[in-house]
Amino acid sequence: MSGLIGKAGRRGDLVQRALGSTRFTDDLHLPRMLHGKTLRCPHPHARIARVDASKALAMPGVAAVITGKDLPERFGIIPWTPDEHPLALEIARFVGDGVAAVAAADERTAAKACEAIEVVYEVLPSAVELDTAITKPEIGLGAKRQDNVSKAVDLAFGDVDAELAASEVVLEGDFHFEGTAHVPIEPHCAIAQVDAAGLLTVWSTTQVPHYLHRELSRVLRLSPARIRVIQPPLGGAFGGKSEPFGHEFTAAKLAMITGRPVKFLMTREEEFYLHRGRHPMRLSFKVGARADGTLTGIDARTQIDGGAYSSFGLVTTYYSGQLLTLPTTAKSYRFSSTRYFTNKPPCGPKRGHGSVQPRFAFEVMLDRLAERLKLDPIELRRRNAVAADSKTINGMRVTSNGNLECLAKVEAASGWKERRGKLGFGRGLGVASSAYISGTNYPIYPNEMAQSAVQLKVDRSGVVTVFNGASELGQGTDMLLATIVADELGLPLDCVRVVSADTDLCPVDLGAYSSRGTFMNGNACLAAARQVKAKLIAAVAAKLEVPEDAVFVTRGALCVKGREGDAVPVDEAIKLAEARFGALGAVGSYKTPPKLGGEYRGGTIGASPAYSFSAHVAEVQVDVETGVVDVVNVWCAHDCGKALLPTQVIGQLDGSVYMGVAEAIFEEHLISPSGLHRGPNLLDYRIPTSLDVPAIHSMIVESMDPEGPLGAKEAGEGPLHSSIPAVANAIYDAVGIRLSRLPFSPGRVLEALQQRGRG
Amino acid sequence: MPEALVTLSLRVNGDDVRVAVRPSQTLLEVLRVGLELTGTKQGCDKGDCGACTVLLDGEPVLACLTLAVTCEGRVVQTVESLTREDPLVDAFDCHGAGQCGFCTPGMLMTAKGLLAKHGRPSRETIKQAISGNLCRCTGYGPIVEAIAAAGEGRRGKKDEEPLPAPLPSWEAPKP
Amino acid sequence: MLPLPEFTVHTPASVDEAVALLAKLGPGAMLLAGGTDLLPNMKQGLHAPAHVVSLQRLGALRGVRREGDALVIGAMTTLDAVAGSAEAKTHAAALAEAAAVVGGPQHRRMGTLGGNLCLDTRCRYYNQTAFWRGALGYCLKKDGDTCHVVEGGRKCVAAASNDTAAAAIALEATVVLTGPAGIRRLPAADFFVADGARNTARREGELLTALEVPVRAGRVSVYEKLRRRGAIDFPLLSVAVRLDREDGSARALDVVISALAAKPRRLAAAQKLGAADLATLPIDTLADAALRECNPLPNIEGDVVWRKQMVRVLVKRALGRATSLA
Repeated sequence: MSGLIGKAGRRGDLVQRALGSTRFTDDLHLPRMLHGKTLRCPHPHARIARVDASKALAMPGVAAVITGKDLPERFGIIPWTPDEHPLALEIARFVGDGVAAVAAADERTAAKACEAIEVVYEVLPSAVELDTAITKPEIGLGAKRQDNVSKAVDLAFGDVDAELAASEVVLEGDFHFEGTAHVPIEPHCAIAQVDAAGLLTVWSTTQVPHYLHRELSRVLRLSPARIRVIQPPLGGAFGGKSEPFGHEFTAAKLAMITGRPVKFLMTREEEFYLHRGRHPMRLSFKVGARADGTLTGIDARTQIDGGAYSSFGLVTTYYSGQLLTLPTTAKSYRFSSTRYFTNKPPCGPKRGHGSVQPRFAFEVMLDRLAERLKLDPIELRRRNAVAADSKTINGMRVTSNGNLECLAKVEAASGWKERRGKLGFGRGLGVASSAYISGTNYPIYPNEMAQSAVQLKVDRSGVVTVFNGASELGQGTDMLLATIVADELGLPLDCVRVVSADTDLCPVDLGAYSSRGTFMNGNACLAAARQVKAKLIAAVAAKLEVPEDAVFVTRGALCVKGREGDAVPVDEAIKLAEARFGALGAVGSYKTPPKLGGEYRGGTIGASPAYSFSAHVAEVQVDVETGVVDVVNVWCAHDCGKALLPTQVIGQLDGSVYMGVAEAIFEEHLISPSGLHRGPNLLDYRIPTSLDVPAIHSMIVESMDPEGPLGAKEAGEGPLHSSIPAVANAIYDAVGIRLSRLPFSPGRVLEALQQRGRG
Repeated sequence: MPEALVTLSLRVNGDDVRVAVRPSQTLLEVLRVGLELTGTKQGCDKGDCGACTVLLDGEPVLACLTLAVTCEGRVVQTVESLTREDPLVDAFDCHGAGQCGFCTPGMLMTAKGLLAKHGRPSRETIKQAISGNLCRCTGYGPIVEAIAAAGEGRRGKKDEEPLPAPLPSWEAPKP
Repeated sequence: MLPLPEFTVHTPASVDEAVALLAKLGPGAMLLAGGTDLLPNMKQGLHAPAHVVSLQRLGALRGVRREGDALVIGAMTTLDAVAGSAEAKTHAAALAEAAAVVGGPQHRRMGTLGGNLCLDTRCRYYNQTAFWRGALGYCLKKDGDTCHVVEGGRKCVAAASNDTAAAAIALEATVVLTGPAGIRRLPAADFFVADGARNTARREGELLTALEVPVRAGRVSVYEKLRRRGAIDFPLLSVAVRLDREDGSARALDVVISALAAKPRRLAAAQKLGAADLATLPIDTLADAALRECNPLPNIEGDVVWRKQMVRVLVKRALGRATSLA
């Protein structure tokens, strides 16, 4: 340790990104590159009877046209549910599903060529709305065409019925969430090229280069040895780039056909068709408690609107229940969740995959229970808090746990005790807390290999290059690894280079999802850096003829305890070590402990080597004339184990709160009953501007996780969860209305206020 | 009828450039493709996000809604004209005023335009000024703070590492 | 990328040259001022003119100046300049306030007053891409014969979404048009017509050159806009109020409500107020009347029930503010 860790320093990598040095995917222009466009289906559900591309092919500048028949293999992120085709093979399942793809000299020509392709559709009965999917199984969107079910999960822990029956208070509540989108400012883009030796290279805006590599190989029927995937730095993702997409395959296929590089850049409209946003859910909760506030039982029933394809849906269905046993628990818990297919853009993982919606429902139920039991809502959570070093009722191993400290921090910072309930009609405070995984021990496809690996290459010039498979999205993994290595080896930060997410250069990391980066990739990197450090120490010890345990690393040099004059500069130590051990390098890897999670089907989902904890207090001002909710302040305390890069951690907390509040107040991903998106653009899908955000007060709690790298856990997704129910509970404190449907738009607030006035 | 190419003369980042453009090309397209100035980003291409903001005759405007041919004889400044030593850029880095960096070029150009007009803008003025630039990562707070700091001439934060020199002079050791 | 259709650009250096060009090019030409409305619409395939006449070089049409008892605002004055003009803030406050809340800061720096007055009407079934509109089966305003807002509707009900329109009408402004036959002046109230497909009285070949706003002693005006976000959004509802006072008491009141239908609506109840009513200015009565007079349609994205309810609130707020200023 040489003092770089835990310092609130520069962002570090922002300058290159900001000033145009960083090449995002769309910034790459290859010689002779063609531009691709996708023709999309205008019907929610249709059989493709005939495609005639002859007019398009005859147009000057058009190089090739492909249809589903050119890529007949199915793909999907979850190996058990591959149900997508790069282009619809026989049946298109939503308005916007790809049907044909064109490569042409420029985007204009490609777009015109798409219009010239003639497609004859036979329109099929569709289930656009969740109700239709539930009530009309004969539409047959499911795998066996017998119903529209994508996945059903029923799990029970303890005797819920008995516990509820014996409870002094049992409350019921229904909740509705209609879906939101990721909206990174950078749209999806992919470029494919085949070189003279027959190597296919795909540059793509993906969070999962390794899975893309696998799926490209399967769909293109090309050995993975002939494919290289490079993920340039991303302009934001939030989960929206965490699985393979059709255009990645069509770019590759068209490059193989034409022999020229092909680029596909999605329009903002296409972004909304690719979607994979947060699932719409309808949740019914029953929660019981004893008079002293002990939570007895939770009974949750959830209907999930999955959209047209499986995506991560199998996992989503589990996540809609599995994480509700932390940080506040009941004595028994049961959840029943069913994900249905509908003829809409597919839903997938968005920051807080599957668990944000139930968290909203549950934390509002807790607020109602606290009121009924005349308990402070923070106190209710304290009385039912899961302890550190324990096991949840659904079998998840809990190690470090900063939940109570998070609650204490937001309680103090918000002036909770002095101010809550005393701010006058229209203004209020609300609290909520949550927990989230730091990666999962479920590797998507079953295998015994490492989940993350890092390779270090040490140069005589005093530069260390980190080759790692992890995906930099803007969250800062590259800086994290550089800092870990620089800190361990005593190097200046600018002497550590990071090469990321290139399947030819970097060892496998499973990708940037499930909040696994810091924990898994950080541990892999630390393991590698410590191997190099040991060699430097050994070489210096030999040279100075002192025992190895007398040598330690400081900034810039290796020193000997008690002999400060004998410092050896790090670059000298590197040369000594190279002379002694030969070329220097190291590989570090990380794999989760073998037995995490409960002994039941699905018990691995939600099982994580460590959990992060968050607590939020929101302060709102409700305009009772307009119904406009102004979220004035949000205090967010988050237990990230150890903040290795505090500036980045605070950035993740700020960003999570921002996104959660946006989902609470503004955003709603709506599809018309006809299957047509209500407004696939940034005017109709409104993400907040600088004038629409609360003052965010982010606070770090450090519980020093025993297995995290230098004690660290996740910070990127957890702190979103409780921001939404905190706002909901604050609205109740302000004006006495319970809103069960997100977002809390002014019309809904006003309607609830008017009902309250009448009632 | 294929469009006739038009020769366009304009000043970009201090250089006089002549470039052949089609009348239907936007300034954004010409900057990114024709002039290879890919620092300016395309986020929506229809004026809803602000990622393509550049200075045109000193004013922050949307390059995606500016026809290139209407820029004849005008002065364009893109993010490539800024350096890491610029106090504004430095403040962005110190305050974590960007994460993915995709909105940052447009945000910086908006901030440049603002600081050129108001030496020390208030936080409220800053929030108004950047309200046409959407950011999805930061929640805007650090951006407002960074611009305020740059306006007040503050560099860095207290516990800040100094900016390393980009190419420090170095002498090879004697053999 | 959303490619623009192909066209030829013309950049006349004078109004006369522009008018001559328009006459020569015929209906295949469209005028380009700031581009913040026309270009996104063209990118969505709503217009594909063979010729685009850029007004960029018409420097004579820029600026706010006082001419006798009128404020003359050149059509190419940017919205930002209108919002910042001391003269406009003093004598045409509603217009300055309206200009200050159009879109986002970049739109106001690019967009012009003339462009905003001539803004195409907006509708959730119209302001979409060619693919989206094709999937819907197109609409009355563009390429189709069905209205998706009003079932069986024969007349386009797209919404006037220009913030400055309501203010111009409330301020009794005059729109100045120059065409082949010379200059034509129209009261702003007559410039807008109740047809969402083409909601201004500007004729083929005419160029909007200025807005003349009368300057009156004792006049106050305000503008209120309903939108979800603090910036970028078009209005979901807008209200402009003009109050004329003489010797300390109100003599005339005008309330204009817009963004609901193709044509901004003058609140009839305000027009009918007698001298006695004006003296007391019954804000609640007027707000209630506005609620009764306005029936928003689900023509733009946004909760239509809420938009209707907000008519009362915004009218009340605008009147309250105007009264406090007077």
